[in-house]
Amino acid sequence: MSAALLQILLNGAASGGVYALVALGYTLIFSVLGVINFAQGALFSLGGYLTFLLMGGRIGVNGALPGWHLPVALPFWMALLLAAIGAGVVALLVERVAFAPLRRRGADPLLSLITSLGAGVVLVNLLQILMGAEGYAFPAGAAALEGLPEALLIGGARIRTVQVVLLLISAGAVAALTVWLERSRTGQAMRAVAEDPTAARLMGIHSGAIVRLAFLLSGMLAGLGGGLIGLSVSLAGPYFGISFGLKGLAVLVLGGLGSVPGAIAGGLLMGLAEALIPSAASGWRDALAFAVLFAVLVLRPSGLLGRRLQEKV
Amino acid sequence: MPDNGLLVQMILGALLGLSVYLPMAAGQLSLATPAFYAVGGTLAALMATHADHQGTISLGAVLWEMVVAGALTAALATLVGLPVLRLRGIYLAIATIALVEIVRVAILNLPFTGGATGIFGIPQPFHHPLGYITLSGGLLALCGWAFQRLETSRLGRAMAAIRDDELATRCMGINTTRVKLSAFVASAVLAGVTGVIAAHYLNTWNARQGSFDVAITTLAFVILGGSRSWLGPVIGGLLLTALPELLRPVGDLRLVLFGLVILLGPVFFPQGLITPALLEKLGRWKLRRLKP
Repeated sequence: MSAALLQILLNGAASGGVYALVALGYTLIFSVLGVINFAQGALFSLGGYLTFLLMGGRIGVNGALPGWHLPVALPFWMALLLAAIGAGVVALLVERVAFAPLRRRGADPLLSLITSLGAGVVLVNLLQILMGAEGYAFPAGAAALEGLPEALLIGGARIRTVQVVLLLISAGAVAALTVWLERSRTGQAMRAVAEDPTAARLMGIHSGAIVRLAFLLSGMLAGLGGGLIGLSVSLAGPYFGISFGLKGLAVLVLGGLGSVPGAIAGGLLMGLAEALIPSAASGWRDALAFAVLFAVLVLRPSGLLGRRLQEKV
Repeated sequence: MPDNGLLVQMILGALLGLSVYLPMAAGQLSLATPAFYAVGGTLAALMATHADHQGTISLGAVLWEMVVAGALTAALATLVGLPVLRLRGIYLAIATIALVEIVRVAILNLPFTGGATGIFGIPQPFHHPLGYITLSGGLLALCGWAFQRLETSRLGRAMAAIRDDELATRCMGINTTRVKLSAFVASAVLAGVTGVIAAHYLNTWNARQGSFDVAITTLAFVILGGSRSWLGPVIGGLLLTALPELLRPVGDLRLVLFGLVILLGPVFFPQGLITPALLEKLGRWKLRRLKP
């Protein structure tokens, strides 16, 4: 394999890992509730900004408190972890306000699409008021990578160290989640609720708690993704998570709604496909995900690894 | 009291609300309205700026643009609708979001649509907002009449039947694909024609006019106004377009409040503001006034 191609593939896999994080967040909620949480993109933004603030980053001149910063300056790793937990807690709040009241009433699931969008709009605009619309870059050497070179040479391919870190963390998170879902008792309970909520409740599974857990984990995945993208690229304004949220949606469909391996494979595939677009046509890159999504929906609506839908009459 | 300019935007909002409502009346959650709105607006911007109009344009030329935009969006909607309308529920919604994003990126990157800045100096057919109010208000009145007729027509009843039970409707011998496609195409044409008016009124047009945000807002028009009768999206479009302007005094908080309305609206008004019960009450009240 030529070094140039390897380089493209590694970069693609790194961004694909983040797409997989977002898509897994959608998948967790979709599999237990059958709905899509459109606030996911806003939680992604939130994760990025929380990481920045926890690292002791200062609010810019357009923010509500110019120059203010948290009295702490945590190392990146700890900030990322706390930011992910913070985003998870906010996701719990979103569940409480946007999903729970509708579910209690047995309302049309379509309505939760609107309410979660509303929650996302509120979150993003609160971020905008607090932080201003400007972009933020993480301080240099943020991830304690000073000891490491700026770029690594892997098999002749040059890849930024940050990208490798990105890939490793998202791969680790995805693997941990998969093993947890597969092996742990709670993970099995979650899969049981996804399979058949009524039967799960009859087996003594507290489905309300499982739903909240799904929201917590999904928010954490989004927050993790936001912090990682903030590190590897920058925080390009409070809306930056929305485009990742939309792409995660494309990945979700590509892999098949509700399928965990599908979300991972779809994310990697999408990252690789985007990396293969020549830089001359980079303006069209954002359309690729949606063109693929469109084609998949039309040709194979159940996704690449999804189960075929069967309609019972 | 809103000024004339806001009134034009409110009417355009109501028209977009109706465009989202049409497929929904046939049980299809489509978010494609901003895509066709963007196509109509871009077409008008290109047609009007390429011909040399010296800043003004005749009403006839604008009406011709509306005809061309209607034809183009109808063709596009037929092409897209045939495969897409086989999808249901959330899948259809996601597919149409994809369509919106594809159109947005295309307008952003095509060599002749002005890139990120868009197209400037679109000539005006009217020198006063009153002209736009007449044009868009006329279109809205026409739509109101057509939607009222639709509810008692064969097509309208077929749409309502599909909304309640698609399979049963097909068993009754109704060509459900044709009915759904008709609703989808009509929705696209309405969005495209609205885009033409908006492009002239705004004087400038760019890819942001048809973004995912617009899909959210227009869907909110229908959900909050009420999706059970055409009056719902009209009221929703008028009110929700005015809301951010009325909230201008609170400054940066207005978008937060707008989000709260979308977030809490379906929780407190699950059927929207205009509910079937309200319409029935209104009908009885009218009946009483007619027969004293």
